[in-house]
Amino acid sequence: MTAQQTDALIDALSAAASPVKRLASPLARAVAALAGLATVGLIAILLLPNDNPLAMRGAGGEMQAGLELAAALLAGVLAVVAAFHVAIPGRSRGWLAVPLPALALWLGFSGLGCWRDLARNGPSGWELGHSMDCFAFIIAASLVLGFPLAWRLSRAAPIDPLPVAVLGGLGIAALSAFFLQFFHPFAVTFLDLAVHVIAIGVVIFLASLLRRPMLRPA
Amino acid sequence: MASGDTNEESWGDLLAAAQRGDGVAYRRFLIAVTPFLRALARRRIHADEVVEDVVQETLLTVHRVRHTYEHGRAVEPWLAAIVSRRSIDALRKSSRTSAREVHNPLAYETFAEPSANTIEAGESAKELARLMGGLPPRQKEALELTKLKELSLEEASAESGQSVASLKVNVHRAIKRMRIEIGKDLFE
Repeated sequence: MTAQQTDALIDALSAAASPVKRLASPLARAVAALAGLATVGLIAILLLPNDNPLAMRGAGGEMQAGLELAAALLAGVLAVVAAFHVAIPGRSRGWLAVPLPALALWLGFSGLGCWRDLARNGPSGWELGHSMDCFAFIIAASLVLGFPLAWRLSRAAPIDPLPVAVLGGLGIAALSAFFLQFFHPFAVTFLDLAVHVIAIGVVIFLASLLRRPMLRPA
Repeated sequence: MASGDTNEESWGDLLAAAQRGDGVAYRRFLIAVTPFLRALARRRIHADEVVEDVVQETLLTVHRVRHTYEHGRAVEPWLAAIVSRRSIDALRKSSRTSAREVHNPLAYETFAEPSANTIEAGESAKELARLMGGLPPRQKEALELTKLKELSLEEASAESGQSVASLKVNVHRAIKRMRIEIGKDLFE
């Protein structure tokens, strides 16, 4: 390749200049995406059968359930916001770390809940419980939420799709785990928590694997 | 022209105009940023040809993602991220290629007229004979019968007494061995 070919390429590209729709700011696009995901989640909570599990868990004195819920929501929201930022060339790589404190808080509160459950119920705190249902819920909900999110992220044609896929995967997995709490009328055991974490890992892995067809990088 | 110049339109203004479909502004933008892109690519890559490849790939990417530039923000980090990505792609491609292929610059020096290649053909024949001379007898026999005499595997098997499977294995090993020898010669 030569500099003359570069000049010819510039001529060809400028001749092909057509108006393009400028993307809105990453934050605005993230808010729009989150509003869409919240609507889907809200409809699911209202339509799918549940016995107000939050009240059932709260009645058991497990107030950390509210903190778990808030931390999961925060981790999901921050991961989605970060994904929209890193999809744009030149944005700070610091966005990769933004959801981590909320993620740590979420896992910390969940672990604390498991510990209290173990102290209260003894060895039954190690049982698997309904973990496989939770696993299936997180994977299925992530798929439902993931496709529209990937479509929105793909509009930036991210030049480096891996961090975008990892953050997007973490975001939808955390939001799915948040929605799971509305159908989860029992405290989690350590094994339940481990299964939740594995499910999140599987979602991130799948998102990374599918990053090219889903995000259509430039 | 640098992005911060006040006498001329800044890169950001030109790119914003390009987003609106202004071909003249787009051309000025691409011409203005190309030296910057080339300088960034040279920081990572030393081969001039590859640098120019990276510049061209970057220009194509800029065209594809020009809608992601937010007017008012600095253009340089946006461009630098694209150059960086395309440089990494080029380095990966180059390491994949060098892992699989042996580069022999003399191999390109052939001419369309067969008679013009007589000298090179003679040297190639000598080189081939030398390489084949270093092969174990059964590998050499397998290669001669199947590749030079162009016999079918069955015919070569009948002539040499080697089974078809054995011929295949010996041809494969012979080619592999010769490839390694060629690689050694080029890098010594």
